[in-house]
Amino acid sequence: MSELVVPGQRLGHTDQLVPGTGTFARGDLVYASVVGQVRRTDLPNGPEGKMQVTVHREKEASTVPEVDGIVVGTVLRVNPRAATLSIQVVGERTCTNEFNGVIRVEDIRATEKDKVKMTESFRPGDVVRAQVVSLGDARSYYLSTAKNILGVLHAKSLAGAPMYPVSWREMKCSQTGGIELRKCAKPF
Amino acid sequence: MSRNELISPEGLRLDGRRANELRRHTAKLGPLSQADGSAFLQHGHTKALAAVYGPREPRHRAHAMHDRAYLNIEFNIAPFATGERKKRNKSDKRLLEMAHFVKQTFEPVIMTRLYPRSQIDLYIQILQDDGGALHAAINASTLALIHAGIPMKDYVCAVSVCCYKDASLLDLNRMEENTEHADLTVAVLPKSGDISLLQMESRLHADKLSDLMDLSIAGCRQIWKTLDGVVRENGEEEQQKASEVSMVLEK
Repeated sequence: MSELVVPGQRLGHTDQLVPGTGTFARGDLVYASVVGQVRRTDLPNGPEGKMQVTVHREKEASTVPEVDGIVVGTVLRVNPRAATLSIQVVGERTCTNEFNGVIRVEDIRATEKDKVKMTESFRPGDVVRAQVVSLGDARSYYLSTAKNILGVLHAKSLAGAPMYPVSWREMKCSQTGGIELRKCAKPF
Repeated sequence: MSRNELISPEGLRLDGRRANELRRHTAKLGPLSQADGSAFLQHGHTKALAAVYGPREPRHRAHAMHDRAYLNIEFNIAPFATGERKKRNKSDKRLLEMAHFVKQTFEPVIMTRLYPRSQIDLYIQILQDDGGALHAAINASTLALIHAGIPMKDYVCAVSVCCYKDASLLDLNRMEENTEHADLTVAVLPKSGDISLLQMESRLHADKLSDLMDLSIAGCRQIWKTLDGVVRENGEEEQQKASEVSMVLEK
């Protein structure tokens, strides 16, 4: 079990360490900012002889979405211009409180943006993986699914059965075999 | 010892402490399961409960700041906290002022820039007030914020001191607080020695200040030891729990 540190505890010198999450630098020294275990990792393409230091918490604090981050959320409602999402997962971590996100119709796909139709992309209840474009307006984050890996992860058909993707824009119902249109996420 | 005398000829105070002695202080992390972080702290008979929620979506749109988190602090004293029962209004100027002091104390310490456009809520409840409500609130808040995992530069430890004749008194109780002697509340970051709050409502001779500051910093260090002990104990417990969970999952 690695060493437990508390906020304000000195971890080392900036000559050897690069401060990561859960740490901060003041002057030439690196300190912890949360309670947790210290981890030192080599930087793949960082300066030589330097290690990144992070403090890892047992109980994760909730996170907030950041620009370019990947989020997963449920579609709450759609209208011809935009779909509203409730963001539940930021990166690898679940949020304790939900944030609102908006996917505008022009952010759904990268090509032929003018031909995209909202009803052929998302339906309420779909679970969607998206990327944060900007912090948006005061109400919600702006999200985009304009990448192959982004889009619907899970959706239910009109019959109420889960569907599996058959192409990047079609999903097949596991019960009735009916095809519905979605902007699917490419499986990894 | 006469009624308005704070120190007896033997050098003992009204409650039997020495001039530079703190009241007994104990703390507990996580009394509230609903909150993201919470702490209960006792300084003698003064009891404070602090709860932290967030960082979360701002309640009001006007509070969202593009570069840092909004710190929302509510300070309340329970109606049954003092000898005479008194219901306090939420817009009580005294309570708002106390909340403001706590906010000023923590704003430079919490790394709010990590959470733009969000809000951190800190609710402080004084359950019993036997003097030193402000410093009990600050100490309890430090623990609750650490428990919630909100990044902070350091602990914040606070204590009240008073100048009485030639002596300096540490950690005042209610009787000592109610006298007309100048008392001041100091909040210190124990690692760096920075002072985060220095609050006084009366006048004090400048010569006395350095003595009082030395005493309060020594007092804060003692409180820091207690808080640090509680945090480390809790951290180890959580590590233990996590390793047990991971062992079960492996099976």
